[in-house]
Amino acid sequence: METLAQLGQFGMFTLRVCWRLIVGPHNLPDLFRFIWTIVTRCFAPVVAVIFPFGMVVALQGLTIFALFGAERLLASLVSVTVIRELSPVLSAVLVAAQGGSSVAAELGAMRIKEELDATEVMGVDGLAYHVVPRALAIVIACPLLHLVGCVAGVGGAFFTAVVLKGERAGIFWAELFFLTEFSDIWGGFLKALVFGSIIGLVSCYLGYTTTGGAAGVGLAVNRTVVWTVTIFIVTNYFLTSALFGGLG
Amino acid sequence: MSWLGSIGRFGLFCLAFFRASAGRAPPLGLTVEQAYRVGVQSMPVLMLISTFIGTNLSIQGYNAFQPIGGQGLVGMFVALAGVRELAPIISASIIAAKAGTEMASQIAVMRVRDQIDALEVMAVSPHWLLITPRLLGIVLVMPPLTMLSTFVMVAASYAAAVWQLDLNGATFLEFLLLASAPMDLLISMGKALCFGALICMISCFNGFFSEGGAEGVGAATNRAVVMSAVLCVILNYFISEAVYG
Repeated sequence: METLAQLGQFGMFTLRVCWRLIVGPHNLPDLFRFIWTIVTRCFAPVVAVIFPFGMVVALQGLTIFALFGAERLLASLVSVTVIRELSPVLSAVLVAAQGGSSVAAELGAMRIKEELDATEVMGVDGLAYHVVPRALAIVIACPLLHLVGCVAGVGGAFFTAVVLKGERAGIFWAELFFLTEFSDIWGGFLKALVFGSIIGLVSCYLGYTTTGGAAGVGLAVNRTVVWTVTIFIVTNYFLTSALFGGLG
Repeated sequence: MSWLGSIGRFGLFCLAFFRASAGRAPPLGLTVEQAYRVGVQSMPVLMLISTFIGTNLSIQGYNAFQPIGGQGLVGMFVALAGVRELAPIISASIIAAKAGTEMASQIAVMRVRDQIDALEVMAVSPHWLLITPRLLGIVLVMPPLTMLSTFVMVAASYAAAVWQLDLNGATFLEFLLLASAPMDLLISMGKALCFGALICMISCFNGFFSEGGAEGVGAATNRAVVMSAVLCVILNYFISEAVYG
């Protein structure tokens, strides 16, 4: 029953955040500052994770295509796995791990130190001032980092296929542009946007409702990462089925 | 240059850990407790995530191989991408997110409350008491967890291939078996072992050197999960390149 109550609380929290997002007051300077912080702090991890992943995709993909002498088709595997799947999911995992957890830690620490209560006492709406800019910044940063992830993943695949394994660069690019469809690209961005909303709302909710001192902050961070990743990987399956016509 | 300093501190931290625990019996009860925490409590999440990663492997493999008409290749794709690469990496990321952050925040809270200093005052080595059981626990359960994740992933991708994509189940299994060998499972268990040790050391390191109250605990936890995920993926490439490349 407690899970159900939490779900209801989360729903109410979401509605209140959305309401504040529409009617304001808007805290634009903080919004841009948070977008900048999240993008710059996640940039290096996103590149550092997705570049090697692209390399691994090319490495294992070449094994399959080599059986048929069709190494030139590697680009189709790269466009499907990296642009549709790996880049949105992995960049969202890293935004959750880096951006989401730091948002939960910040809000949790503010709750523990009663800074949030102090804000309310001063007649400033805590949700509009502290929560909305953070949640919105994550929603906006996710697609931006997905873009970075696409470039890094394709770059990693290119590096393995062309530089290490000696495939032709021209063929790689030609096949990549030929086989990547426009729907792959906007589908990836739509996924990133949905994942960003999940991360933004869940991390803000868990940070905002922290209880129990320093240990509570650690717990909130822990829960944020686990919950967001679980929720958006489950969502990802339904999005993939809906967007890319999984129904044979 | 601060990251260079952290690498040095991490090296010294590992050295201090080896010096404190080499040749000493580990605290058994704590080890069992940690193995339970990592293994049993992370299992439901890991199973859930592996299921949905498996279904997506099938769907995207089907899409990737449609241009060459090789829809039977989905099984092979699942074997190469799922069994060899994703199962160890996904288990490592989930363990880093769940158990790793827990380790980091527990140790960081102990640091904030001066409990680690108290241990030193009592002449109990904190490295030995806090890190040995965590390291042994995680190293003990990572390989079986990865196995379990592999099986769930393959089962889910089989289900998606047969029921959602209407592929032939026998062809799927034939190609799956063609592309995988028992050796692959052993290698992925080996990977899991390395990832487990890495996650534990990174998380404990970040917790151990946290400073600055409640915010510091959050920051340490945050850094632990990002650093361990990034390092695991990079390490994974090198292991794959060395073994399969």
